[in-house]
Amino acid sequence: MSDTALNIRPHAATTEAPLARALLIALAIGTLGLFVLAPLAVVFAEALSKGLGAALRSLAAPEARSAIRLTLLTAGIAVPLNAAFGIAAAWAITKFDFRGKALLITLIDLPFSVSPVVAGLCLVLLFGANSTLGGWLVAQGMPVIFALPGIVLATLFVTFPFVARELIPVMIEQGRTEEEAALTLGAGGWRTFLSVTLPNIRWALLYGVLLANARAMGEFGAVAVVSGKIRGQTATMPITIEMLYNEYLSVAAFSLAALLSALALVTLILKTLLERAHSGALAAGHRS
Amino acid sequence: MARPLIQSSPMPGLGLSFGITLAMLSVIVLAPIGALVAQGATLGPEGLWAAIDRPRVWAALWLSFRLAALAAGCNLVLGTALAWVLARYDFPGRRLVDAAVDLPFALPTAVAGIALTALYAPNGVLGGLAREIGWKIAYTEWGIFLALLFVGLPFVARSVQPVIHEIDREVEEASATLGATRLTTLTRVIWPMLMPAALTGFALALARAVGEYGSVIFIAGNIPMRTEIAPLLIVIELEEFDYDGAAAIGLAMLTISFALLFAINLLQIWSRLRIGHV
Amino acid sequence: MHIDIDEIAKTFGTTTALHPVTLAIPSGALVALLGPSGSGKTTLLRILGGLEFPTSGRVLFDAEDTTGLRVQERRAGFVFQSYALFRHMTVFDNIAYGLRARPRATRPPKAEIARRVTHLLELIQLPEIGARFPSQLSGGQRQRVALARALAIEPRMLLLDEPFGALDAKVRRELRQGLRDIHDETGLTTVFVTHDQDEAMELADLVVVMSMGRIEQVGRPQDIRTRPATAFVRDFLSA
Repeated sequence: MSDTALNIRPHAATTEAPLARALLIALAIGTLGLFVLAPLAVVFAEALSKGLGAALRSLAAPEARSAIRLTLLTAGIAVPLNAAFGIAAAWAITKFDFRGKALLITLIDLPFSVSPVVAGLCLVLLFGANSTLGGWLVAQGMPVIFALPGIVLATLFVTFPFVARELIPVMIEQGRTEEEAALTLGAGGWRTFLSVTLPNIRWALLYGVLLANARAMGEFGAVAVVSGKIRGQTATMPITIEMLYNEYLSVAAFSLAALLSALALVTLILKTLLERAHSGALAAGHRS
Repeated sequence: MARPLIQSSPMPGLGLSFGITLAMLSVIVLAPIGALVAQGATLGPEGLWAAIDRPRVWAALWLSFRLAALAAGCNLVLGTALAWVLARYDFPGRRLVDAAVDLPFALPTAVAGIALTALYAPNGVLGGLAREIGWKIAYTEWGIFLALLFVGLPFVARSVQPVIHEIDREVEEASATLGATRLTTLTRVIWPMLMPAALTGFALALARAVGEYGSVIFIAGNIPMRTEIAPLLIVIELEEFDYDGAAAIGLAMLTISFALLFAINLLQIWSRLRIGHV
Repeated sequence: MHIDIDEIAKTFGTTTALHPVTLAIPSGALVALLGPSGSGKTTLLRILGGLEFPTSGRVLFDAEDTTGLRVQERRAGFVFQSYALFRHMTVFDNIAYGLRARPRATRPPKAEIARRVTHLLELIQLPEIGARFPSQLSGGQRQRVALARALAIEPRMLLLDEPFGALDAKVRRELRQGLRDIHDETGLTTVFVTHDQDEAMELADLVVVMSMGRIEQVGRPQDIRTRPATAFVRDFLSA
């Protein structure tokens, strides 16, 4: 087909021919429809395949409820710790000048380039019952692997850079002068942080926490290795989804999956709203 | 005169912020990775080689890195096109598409795994269509490729999009006034500007795809020598309490990943040097 | 309060920002640190304010060694080049910040803080803007708010970093006079940094010309004009 039919008006020098545009737009919508939206629709369709009642009943089952509780508990511990780390790391990196800053940033980003399964493996090697440290901890009655601490550590590992990466560019951009001004006016460290720094970084912090939380609640690979998959005890929501799916309990598996998908959708909506309303307060990459 | 480790500063919180940062970095990241390296050291080079030099391990590593590179390469093209469409074109539903790009980031991998399987399995909606033309997607390499394409999709698009926004339109107009066709402008002027960011996205997508587990294992079929990815092999060795074997594969994955990322970094430095800072 | 700078030196890594410099600033003087960028004038000002620590040397306030005194305890009214107003606070809250930050024992009661802020807003001739946010102010208004905020803590001295740098010529002339008036009214020892020789000559009692981390000449404006001590000063003034 020739594009002359579409090309009635000459197009500007800085855009493509209408046919090329149409093809590119179709490619974008097609890719996302086929690979992203269709899977999402399937999750809800499968969950509701036996009706809403069946889906809700499967979520009320003891196994599902304990999985939901464990996932909330894990995220409830890991995400605040992660936020505290992110704030401390961003403060150290942006408020002080020291040697090895680039190395420190690289090390903070390291978990992004380590497979979650390898992360779990590392934790098993350090804290597993066969290791010196792990054996001692088990003897003290504080097992890490196949228990909550291991799940929390695995979650912390995979979400480690999230908050710090959001805060560092924002705090670099904002500079140090507002904090310096507070100091010259007699404010102490905590007052300076709470009354000057925190209000300036709060949206970026929320953004980082939002993404870290989504990842924390959904993490599978690293948690699968360290959890031991003990039903009702160390099975988080994603682990329970796997177990139910492998037992061909499709409605139960997809109902839990739908719950996590809803969390993902809420995360995306909040994230988009943040990008629209407070783009100036976020890292440059997230401004639309 | 030696430079001081930390430049003196009146900023408060030096001890506290460095204390928290270094303590958490050590406990959560460095000590566990150190344990892996230590396990490798006790095995020694020969022990490591013996643990890795098995056909099943080679097959898994080759499969993981080959398909990850392929998926990241496709994402390089798709992601750049997606970023271009989202940054430059206006069409109904653009904002929805823009938000949907991040779904693979937000959707838990296990959820993505069972959803893709349900969709592309022979009895699934799209898998059924594919079967009509004799194309089996789930439980083959195609399925693994599809899952890796899914998890890597946002990286390139999100790295490139802000750079497109920053391109000065006058550069494109200049190119046009000099007689270049649109295609020439895109390939000779725009693409070199986007390349460093696109490579960053490619590296991130590659790192993610190599280590991906949750979205792959449901759709892969997991047949040894054929559709068994390296991370799954680690899980299997751990379940058999073969810590040495698991550590050897883990170290091999880390080493190859870091070598690849390092190479991509060099490529990036080279392309940045050529065009200066964007 | 008179300030003695005694052999102050500062290095950042391998670069030397200040060679040992010595300077006496008499009580109540209005002093300009004049020089091109990279001359060390801002570093010297930040050392006086406690925002940088010297590599060697001493700072004395009224003959008392204050080199290691924490920035919070210096009571140096510091006006930043970018003003560094707190974006998320109103003008009123900005000015009240230093008083509210005091420990409970020395913190004035609420009504007293309000009275002082109102007084300062009158002093800078902007009595109506207390409820506004910094983003709603013009550049000149922001500069005066920054000055009021610095004055609110009853400072022992006033330190200003390029106080008129970001303003256009007309506003600049008005504010110069404003600074002179406030200085004369409060009698505070005042040090400001500038790269603009007209500003230094017109406003200051004492001009300190700096270059490459060294003090080239110290003197009254007319003395520096008529008798430049070094080739650098002569070249800089004729530029």
